[in-house]
Amino acid sequence: MKQKKIISLLLAATLSFTLLAGCGSKTDEAATDTSTDAAATTTEATEGAGEVREFTAFFAVAGTEINDDNEIQSILAEKTGVKVKETWLTGQTDKEAIGTFIAGGEYPDFIEGGSGTPQLIDAGALVALDDYIAKYPNIKALFSEEDWDKLRQADGHIYFIPQFGTVKNEEKVCTHNDEAFWIQTRVLKWAGYPEVKTMDQYFELIESYQAANPSMEDGTENIPYTILCEDWRYFCLENAPQFLDGYPNDGSVIVDPKTLKIIDYNTTPTAKRYFQKLNEEYKKGIVDPESFTQTYDEYIAKLSTGRVLGMIDQWWNFAFNVNDALKQQGLDAQGCNYVPLPITIEEGINNQWHNSGAVLNVSSGLAVTTSCEDVDAAMKFVNDILAQDLHDLRFWGTEDVDYGVSETGEFFRTEEQRMNASDTAYKASHLCTYSYFPQYTGTSDDGINANRPDGQASEFYDGLHPELQECFAAYDAKTYVDMLGTNEKPGPWYPMWSFSNSLNTTTPGGTSWVKIAEVKHEWLPKIVMAEDYEGAWTDYMEVYEGTEPQAFLGEMQTELDRRMEEAAKYN
Amino acid sequence: MSLTRKKKEKVNEVPTKITWKEIKRQKVLLFWSFLIVVYGVVFYYLPLAGWVMAFQNYKPKDGIFHSEFIGLAKFEQLFHDATFLRVIRNTLAMGVINLVVCFVTAITFAILLNELQNNNRKKVVQTISYLPHFLSWIIVTGILHGALSGSGIINELLVAFHIIDSPINFFAHPKFFWPIVAFANIWKETGWNAIIYLAAITAIDPCLYEAASIDGAGRWERIKYVTLPGIKPTIIILLLMNVGNVLNAGFEIQYLLGNGLVKSVSETIDIYVLKWGISQGDYAIGTAAGIFKSLVSIILIVVANQIAKHNGEERLF
Repeated sequence: MKQKKIISLLLAATLSFTLLAGCGSKTDEAATDTSTDAAATTTEATEGAGEVREFTAFFAVAGTEINDDNEIQSILAEKTGVKVKETWLTGQTDKEAIGTFIAGGEYPDFIEGGSGTPQLIDAGALVALDDYIAKYPNIKALFSEEDWDKLRQADGHIYFIPQFGTVKNEEKVCTHNDEAFWIQTRVLKWAGYPEVKTMDQYFELIESYQAANPSMEDGTENIPYTILCEDWRYFCLENAPQFLDGYPNDGSVIVDPKTLKIIDYNTTPTAKRYFQKLNEEYKKGIVDPESFTQTYDEYIAKLSTGRVLGMIDQWWNFAFNVNDALKQQGLDAQGCNYVPLPITIEEGINNQWHNSGAVLNVSSGLAVTTSCEDVDAAMKFVNDILAQDLHDLRFWGTEDVDYGVSETGEFFRTEEQRMNASDTAYKASHLCTYSYFPQYTGTSDDGINANRPDGQASEFYDGLHPELQECFAAYDAKTYVDMLGTNEKPGPWYPMWSFSNSLNTTTPGGTSWVKIAEVKHEWLPKIVMAEDYEGAWTDYMEVYEGTEPQAFLGEMQTELDRRMEEAAKYN
Repeated sequence: MSLTRKKKEKVNEVPTKITWKEIKRQKVLLFWSFLIVVYGVVFYYLPLAGWVMAFQNYKPKDGIFHSEFIGLAKFEQLFHDATFLRVIRNTLAMGVINLVVCFVTAITFAILLNELQNNNRKKVVQTISYLPHFLSWIIVTGILHGALSGSGIINELLVAFHIIDSPINFFAHPKFFWPIVAFANIWKETGWNAIIYLAAITAIDPCLYEAASIDGAGRWERIKYVTLPGIKPTIIILLLMNVGNVLNAGFEIQYLLGNGLVKSVSETIDIYVLKWGISQGDYAIGTAAGIFKSLVSIILIVVANQIAKHNGEERLF
């Protein structure tokens, strides 16, 4: 009996102990809640106190951390009173990282959830920003009223601010920031700058170049064509059929602009031809056999050596790392830089690899979490760094150090300054773009300069290696965009990927979407590597039907109709 | 049987009466064991309350207390999901393969090491062999990825010796995946796992070896009749513990080495939980899969223990 009593005593003691612990954290929460409110009303008072406030930020995309004593970050901290410690995704998918945050219940002050954003909103982790947006003019000016409305969630609130697709004043575009068939300029130069318009011509060119020049100047063997297909980045493999048929990057489906119906690009005759071509090239040894097993890092490393002649990719997915690496090694002189080609499945189809105009991503953006103790200060910081002088500091750097100003007020850079800007160590210690905070492209308020160096026509052209200049000249192009030609912005539904990105298994269409991705991840490499392509394609189509794609396409159609209806309200 | 044994023990022991005096006398011991109990309750038992999520349509916003109760629906969904059945197969297969090969290699290695006469060499070999244990999986998989890639050392050697004509892309073929995982486990853990067997071998009375030699036993006989029986209790206990771990066939290695092509054989239960539970935000199904894993592990360990008991061997409980 006594033994039992002691046990129960012990249990009671432990229980009360843990209960106390539980309560402890509760009161903590309450305390921070009230302090948030208090802070909200007294921000003006804390301003000018001179001390730098530190916020934390997590971005669910791969990125590079900058040094703690970064120079421009310190200048920005001096001017705004705020410093943000940024961390990036490493070795996980965005949804895994966000899911882990939600399970833990504690967040950084700022967060970019990527495709995990709907989960964050569901979990009540984000602060509704409507009132703050109205309060800060620079933030408010980022988007039109119509666009802000598009960002409203089911409950009518805005929870995040898209960082990209914001053009200020006149649009200035020199780079094609999107997807394309890329090819090294040395291949084009060798062939005498031919017109390359179809996939067959593209591979024929690569094949004949490879046959004539199997290795680089230093003897490294060329890799004729590689495909990245790690995780979500497998767009390099899977979504080309939409472009080949002349449609823009809706990403997950094709939208027929006339009938406004959703078309599934996975099953079109073009898709079958595209993968068949890859299959043939794989058997010929043109497609890199490591394509389907390489990681993103291995892929970037491969491109950085200049060995890869061509690939499909998004500019933002490779160019910033790879171009800098090529430049630092002097490989641009060997013609290792990539240019895009206007490729479609047959000649005579208008390609839409490039579209002008801003693309609004309504599926994710910069958000402030409930863990942030001073939402006002956080939003004020976002507002401050959008001011033109600070924006210049972020993207151009410090005057006279990173760029010069001509007599006419035009910004320019010397070769050394360009070299610095592509040097990883220099970037980490000196430059701070806060690249996943809201920002502008387009023209500066001074009416002369572009908001970023890569949009400054003169600076852009001077910065190109002569090999690239020669290539552009041969095609009568001044910029990357001219290589492809540009198109009007597609209809008001565009882009549909901003909807499919936010799907998850809570709906039948979302479940089907997840399963489609699973099947494609496994089967697309299989059919490219298959001995018997026809048989493999039939098997693939059978498994594909098993994912009930109709459920997914149906939900896409509903969203398309909804978007068209919304847009009609503003006409 | 265990009951009778316990009774026997009770008879032998003089039962201590619990009195305040006794408690006072043992207060230091009681205090420390109390801390351990608290630790166990807080970190092992309280989190189990989260299992309730598996029976709810759990939403982080509503929390455990306000989510809708849906009974066994999530379990039903699990067992109707072909992917889940496949990950069970993968987990079991890799778990068993790992268990067997790691077990055999560790014991063999320990015995071989023990047979080394030169003490210095023995120490060098032992140190080198257990060092990989301290590398994290991310590094080991990085090395593997490099070594087994198309231009990696393995392929270069195979081509150089004309065993194959052109490099094999090892990670593109499902049939290579399980052997690669087993190999990685052997490479990383053999040295470390051997330590405990070596310790057990050291504890064997040298007189037994002497006696065996005098009776004309050679090296092989000494291993067979002295060393192996001598470490048998250790072997059985470790085997039992490892059987309970079969479903922990790994997460990092499969997660890091897997790719679209080998997905059908590489995904384990843990990856499934991450993918559908954490990534898709369906914490309920993740928890359900986790519960399933725990239950199967408990069953496995109990069954293994019963078998050991039945055969009159050492056992855990």
